Amino acid sequence: MTARMHVFVGAGGVGKTTLAAGYALALARTGAKVALLGIDPARRLQGALGITLGDLAVPVAGAAGVDAALLRPEDSLRRWAAEALPDGVTRERLLANPFFLALADRLAGATDIFAAVRLVEWAERDPTRTDFVVDTAPGLNAIEFLRRPQTLSAFLEGRLVGWLRWLAGQQASGNDHPGILGMGAQRVLGGLRRLTGARMVLELAEFVWLVERVFANMLVRLAKAQAWLKSDATRVLLVTAVRDDAAASVTSMTDALAAVGIAPHAIVVNRAVPDGLGAELAAIDPATLSAGGAMLVTYARAYAAMQARVLAGVAGQAPAILRVPALRGLAEAGRVDTLMALGDRLLRLQAAADAS
Amino acid sequence: MLPRIVFVLGKGGVGRSTVSAALGLALAKRGERVLVFEWTVAEPIGPWFGAPPAESVIPAEIVARMSVANFRLDAVLRAYFVDHLRMRLFHKHVIEGPHVRRLIEAAPGIAELMFLGHLWWLTTLAEKEAGLTFDRIVVDAPATGHGASLLELPTTVSALGATGLLEMEVGRVQAMMADPARTGAIVVALPDELSLEETCELVPRTTQTLRRRPIAAFVNRCMPAKAHATTPRELDALTLTTTSREALAVLEAELRGRGAFEAELRTALAGATERGTCALEEQLAVLPRATPAAVVRALAAPILSHLEAPR
Repeated sequence: MTARMHVFVGAGGVGKTTLAAGYALALARTGAKVALLGIDPARRLQGALGITLGDLAVPVAGAAGVDAALLRPEDSLRRWAAEALPDGVTRERLLANPFFLALADRLAGATDIFAAVRLVEWAERDPTRTDFVVDTAPGLNAIEFLRRPQTLSAFLEGRLVGWLRWLAGQQASGNDHPGILGMGAQRVLGGLRRLTGARMVLELAEFVWLVERVFANMLVRLAKAQAWLKSDATRVLLVTAVRDDAAASVTSMTDALAAVGIAPHAIVVNRAVPDGLGAELAAIDPATLSAGGAMLVTYARAYAAMQARVLAGVAGQAPAILRVPALRGLAEAGRVDTLMALGDRLLRLQAAADAS
Repeated sequence: MLPRIVFVLGKGGVGRSTVSAALGLALAKRGERVLVFEWTVAEPIGPWFGAPPAESVIPAEIVARMSVANFRLDAVLRAYFVDHLRMRLFHKHVIEGPHVRRLIEAAPGIAELMFLGHLWWLTTLAEKEAGLTFDRIVVDAPATGHGASLLELPTTVSALGATGLLEMEVGRVQAMMADPARTGAIVVALPDELSLEETCELVPRTTQTLRRRPIAAFVNRCMPAKAHATTPRELDALTLTTTSREALAVLEAELRGRGAFEAELRTALAGATERGTCALEEQLAVLPRATPAAVVRALAAPILSHLEAPR
């Protein structure tokens, strides 16, 4: 993977989606061919970009050079099943298997795995993309697959799967001689039967047998994504808002990232206010204002004080701390130009930090 | 009447833990024995009250009559097979075997089923089997997304066509989830655009799953009514630098926006919950001392009174 990747991580509601979109637009204006992958069904992003996003990438109108897609795990999984199981009958059996349906449902929450596999698939299909900008699931969910890689591979490894596969083969040929199994296998299968009933074990076996090829492809791409994420081509931007839990959440994110060998390139403090705001407001007595004015001044003071605590708390946790100011107009229905202005600010802050 | 188990639903960052803790505190204050049951929360509530974060399924009391526990799959599997089913050997040789363990971790819905099964146990047999008595359990459990998929689990797993122990487990969890005296959900939202969208999907989805409406929706961090009367001219008169004035204007727009989104949420959720939408303003009102514990204490009474006020 030679394209650059820009990953926006952070707790829920800190503005990752908006920042990632703005960043993608601003990057494209510098001449990059950008792929923007959103993960939330954030209609706001679609509205801002003026397009309907789906699992497959579409060009963003009004922003030359940006293709965008919204991760839809169910669609991805069906496409990957078609890729791995060209035989229609076999594929339909997999798609109708209750374990597959349950897995698809459950994996739909594992957006980190899907996003990683989807990115590599995208890079394979469109080698002209120079930059991939990625929005991620909130908090540690974004890197769950790096922390617990066994979640997906657990189905493919171990003797149990071998037994189940054998059992599925026996079932298919109508020849059931559990006596051939070793004592250990019998005990485990007997235990599973006791726990879940025989029918479920058979459906599980069929599922394992069919899904293996789909997963095998996913695992190959997942390994590529891991290497890509850990390479110099990737920059992780850890976004935080000005709020109470910011420092704690940044610390837990940087610790978790460090544990899997990734260091954030920068911490982005979103919706920052100027340093002097707190001191200037301290000179104002809220009692001289109306109830509304007093509340605003009190709120703004608390916000400035909290920002100071956040900045102190995150200091030194990344090579650069980038403060993106709160911009007017973003709270209202976002537009491409407002997003672009936001992305520009971030891009320039990043360039300045790189230069120093 | 509040159900025995209250699920607190909502996306990360909306204040689900705050609302869970506040509800727990309010119930504990009036004499109930309360358990706040966490599962993969971003920020455990223990430290807010000077206690360590809950790391075990064994409840630990953090304030008078309010305990916290944290879901751990391995501990719950052990409790289920060894303490409850008396299947020590099966647990040791089958469940604890590395292959089965990995399969269980990866299998669809097993962890969620065990979570709900543990709630069933806590409200039925735990008193006799483990000496644990809780009048009320508040569940802060965003297993995935906003926690809605957790409630859908019994249906998902029963579609697998399981028989045997799993079927029995699914059956009693389903019965528990279907009983309005035993379970119910409340939804937490924020007065902003993203949360508005998510809540408008979450509430009908929850209604469909539980086959009844959520008890109530809470909109966290709303602007107190008195603050709606800001006069822009008054701010113009303040002595401020241009950059500070601009920043103050952005913050003012944000506060005003909260009022607008709160109103939109009320309209969108009209009739969608049993007791309607409740705006929580106390977070802004306790500024500038808005520590998590202060917010939880301020929210306790308004949350409980909204849930129990006569209609």
